[in-house]
Amino acid sequence: MGNMVSVINTVDTSHEDMIHDAQMDYYGTRLATCSSDRSVKIFDVRNGGQILIADLRGHEGPVWQVAWAHPMYGNILASCSYDRKVIIWKEENGTWEKTHEHSGHDSSVNSVCWAPHDYGLILACGSSDGAISLLTYTGEGQWEVKKINNAHAIGCNAVSWAPAVVPGSLIDQPSGQKPSYIKKFASGGCDNLIRLWKEEEDGQWKEEQKLEAHSDWVRDVAWAPSIGLPTSTIASCSQDGRVFIWTCDDASGNTWSPKLLHKFSDVVWHVSWSITANILAVSGGDNKVTLWKESVDGQWVCISDVNKGQGSVSASVAEGQQNEQ
Amino acid sequence: MEKMSRVTTALGGSVLTGRTMHCHLDAPANAISVCRDAAQVVVAGRSIFKIYAIEEEQFVEKLNLRVGRKPSLNLSCADVVWHQMDENLLATAATNGVVVTWNLGRPSRNKQDQLFTEHKRTVNKVCFHPTEAHVLLSGSQDGFMKCFDLRRKDSVSTFSGQSESVRDVQFSIRDYFTFASTFENGNVQLWDIRRPDRCERMFTAHNGPVFCCDWHPEDRGWLATGGRDKMVKVWDMTTHRAKEMHCVQTIASVARVKWRPECRHHLATCSMMVDHNIYVWDVRRPFVPAAMFEEHRDVTTGIAWRHPHDPSFLLSGSKDSSLCQHLFRDASQPVERANPEGLCYGLFGDLAFAAKESLVAAESGRKPYAGDRRHPIFFKRKLDPAEPFAGLASSALSVFEMEPGGGSMGWFVDTAERYALAGRPLAELCDHNAKVARELGRNQVAQTWTMLRIIYCSPGLVPSANLNHSMGKGSACGLPLMNSFNLKDMTPGLGSETRLDRSKGDTRSDTVLLDSSATLVTNEDNEETEGSDVPADYLLGDVEGEEDELYLLDPDHTHPEEPECVLPQEAFPLRHEIVDTPPGPEHLQDKADSPHVSGSEADTISLAPMDSSFSLLSVSHALYDSRLPPDFFSVLVRDMLHFYAEQGDVQMAVSVLIVLGDRVRKDIDEQTQEHWYTSYIDLLQRFRLWNVSNEVVKLSTSRAVSCLNQASTTLHVNCSHCKRPMSSRGWVCDRCHRCASMCAVCHHVVKGLFVWCQGCSHGGHLQHIMKWLEGSSHCPAGCGHLCEYS
Repeated sequence: MGNMVSVINTVDTSHEDMIHDAQMDYYGTRLATCSSDRSVKIFDVRNGGQILIADLRGHEGPVWQVAWAHPMYGNILASCSYDRKVIIWKEENGTWEKTHEHSGHDSSVNSVCWAPHDYGLILACGSSDGAISLLTYTGEGQWEVKKINNAHAIGCNAVSWAPAVVPGSLIDQPSGQKPSYIKKFASGGCDNLIRLWKEEEDGQWKEEQKLEAHSDWVRDVAWAPSIGLPTSTIASCSQDGRVFIWTCDDASGNTWSPKLLHKFSDVVWHVSWSITANILAVSGGDNKVTLWKESVDGQWVCISDVNKGQGSVSASVAEGQQNEQ
Repeated sequence: MEKMSRVTTALGGSVLTGRTMHCHLDAPANAISVCRDAAQVVVAGRSIFKIYAIEEEQFVEKLNLRVGRKPSLNLSCADVVWHQMDENLLATAATNGVVVTWNLGRPSRNKQDQLFTEHKRTVNKVCFHPTEAHVLLSGSQDGFMKCFDLRRKDSVSTFSGQSESVRDVQFSIRDYFTFASTFENGNVQLWDIRRPDRCERMFTAHNGPVFCCDWHPEDRGWLATGGRDKMVKVWDMTTHRAKEMHCVQTIASVARVKWRPECRHHLATCSMMVDHNIYVWDVRRPFVPAAMFEEHRDVTTGIAWRHPHDPSFLLSGSKDSSLCQHLFRDASQPVERANPEGLCYGLFGDLAFAAKESLVAAESGRKPYAGDRRHPIFFKRKLDPAEPFAGLASSALSVFEMEPGGGSMGWFVDTAERYALAGRPLAELCDHNAKVARELGRNQVAQTWTMLRIIYCSPGLVPSANLNHSMGKGSACGLPLMNSFNLKDMTPGLGSETRLDRSKGDTRSDTVLLDSSATLVTNEDNEETEGSDVPADYLLGDVEGEEDELYLLDPDHTHPEEPECVLPQEAFPLRHEIVDTPPGPEHLQDKADSPHVSGSEADTISLAPMDSSFSLLSVSHALYDSRLPPDFFSVLVRDMLHFYAEQGDVQMAVSVLIVLGDRVRKDIDEQTQEHWYTSYIDLLQRFRLWNVSNEVVKLSTSRAVSCLNQASTTLHVNCSHCKRPMSSRGWVCDRCHRCASMCAVCHHVVKGLFVWCQGCSHGGHLQHIMKWLEGSSHCPAGCGHLCEYS
């Protein structure tokens, strides 16, 4: 029953320094990486290949994170950097170019995340200056900027949007009118908190919730994709080595309860949900990725761990993987 | 000289103490310099020239060198330097071109010693010779460098850089006669102090002005230069041609650079605009600063390490009118803050993971920049192979997949493509989909389809072999359990359904009925915990949840007060049941008696004896035909769909929803359905399964979903007369001012369905054209075309 987690592709990125983020696009065919060496690279990873498509230069400091926009807006990638800038790159006629540069932050920009496509092109950026800015594309190359100042004291490390869910039935909507979504996202920061933000009717962003459980910097937050689930789920990880799963069952979205997934011995850097939101991948300071799944009794169980050795991978047994299918 | 050596001795044994601190100055600082005793610092600016004592807890102002009533331009300092051998000797560079020396040993209030007014423009830099007490060098905006002997009244020699302006000059620490100078045009020159006629060497170091340079305190040949191009470069000057050893890329132009004492690869930089921070870089790690001091609120103008052999104390002056002492251990370390890992779940269940390679691995197994030869890597520098990569980090990026073969979401694609959702009788659809699921090894799903078929289709239509198969499975799984409940756990007095008028002899049919429903649940359980012990407990829990139905079925316990008892426990919380209900002993016994099999096993072999399934079949036949409406199961089916959705298999939820259509739709609230539909459609589109997605949209019963197909289709209309695009929304063409889309038959504007011949583009009202064509096949417009309509 055990399944091997195997390496299908070791990408030679030729990055000259540490890689800080790797993101696959909507269709799972392209991989964007970013590194301390100030570059962003895009690889075609179809069929286990690794063809460098683009080497994007424009940042003047380490690039922390990249994010793909929904393909309905074209091939668009956002990147954020230590140089306090956010750059939006776009592929036009086969070549990638910088289409917008946002320099509205006073310190390193640590995280970028595109809103669900239903809202249009909106990018949330979290910075070490404690602010979160929201860039909205208003057409013809123009971006409107909204800023939440002092979102997190000392700095914001991660932002993650809630999936687009419409309050109330669509049937009630007058035909032809766009459904009114409630836009929400989560952010994690150096104040050890996860904060949930909601757009008010007047277009202003307001803090809706404060989730408190971590005892050190929150490193990553990931709002689970909503696939057939009425509940909202957020995963968070922190410098304190703990990973929490936050769930909210009530319709008003105000009562969140944390469940400790695991306490690791080292910093936990990333959490990432599988596409159907039933497996959580966690990567920690020990160079290890573990996969977690909620068991029938509501406990989170490690179903696999992936050790990253020197290029090759020692795979371990994954129980119950087949049932995934 | 005697006095000085005594000071040195005294200092040799002392230890620097202090903390991170700052003090406010009266005016912005332009430069600072430390006395050789490391206990005093001089701050110079346009309107400030003071000496501060560096005490343990604070800076204490010791001396103000700006004396006299009217401020002289000679006191407007661009640079200041404290002699490293004579603690009484200072030199300043004035913005008016004057070089001034100061003797702190003078008894009068005015310590000004000598004045050299040889430069024509601002003097950017002054520098004492490291070992020669009387030699001073200056570099000016006028393009000249001058060497002064302080025992004489004027300069000893003048060096012409043949360039606009000199930004920095510095004596080599090791080569007695050598100094380096940097220029606004990007050049660096190397001079021999004895040969003012021409420079020894010149090379272009930066793109744009080179603002600063610093000789390495230990490595005789290393010179660091910083420029407006935001780079710091380290040059090996010992070779015939200056060789670039390292290049650090900062985020703003580099105004000052200072090697860190006792740390061979470290240097500190500050910028002259935008960035107020001071950075300490490991030149081998050129992209991320090793340390960062963020105290200043305006541009940092001067930096100096407090003691030439102490790496932890850094002093700085700034335009924000403050003087700071920074402790290295208080610095923020961006490297430590930097995220060393990248993680991403891919669409197909694959995982991209980038992690820092261990340094050992990096050193031994590293092939520097081999790899992608298809694309040249620009900005790539050759690394010195002799140099260990102690400070350099690299990452390995791997893509993992969850299972050898198609990737763990492969089933999704296959299933989506092969499922039949409409166009055939329900029974066939269920069978087909069960087959698809089975072939993909998704036994639970397959069984669910089979059960659905049994529930909703008249068994008379079912090929008996098929039914046997499924029923067999069902009985194998659920029958024993059900029996135990049936016989023991029924509580009298609970509600029942009056229309089920059955005799006691029908207990057997109860079993069958529940049996099938229980199988549904069983399957679901198995999906989660296959091969583990959990299903045993869990089953019990689930069945408990269905107690209501058990009661309902019992015709003997009709409760008079609740004739229409609705299920009290809708959407029962499965999970709690597990915890709360320990498996009863009878139950375990029953289980032991009968073969309990997990879903997957059950699927491949029918374990139930042939005769038992036969009897089941016949009973259920009677049951369905005569009494039990499929409605009865709707709660179960609803829960089943919810379960699948919760498990992340929204595909199953939607597929069943479509296949069953009205049979189940009313039991699930509209919003949930919509949510499932949109989730599934979104997934299908991600997998580029456009056809399936289209079909699902078409088949969906939710209005919000089905209108998705009508979105984003644009119809372009041209005027039928002038053939130009119709720009306005009206019926009249903007250009030829005639009505477009006239009916060729009635000559009125068509304001609804317009049908036209694609050959001659004439047309009109659908009914008119149809009528016309009955009589003639020629175009009604009289154009002579033989119109064809499909």
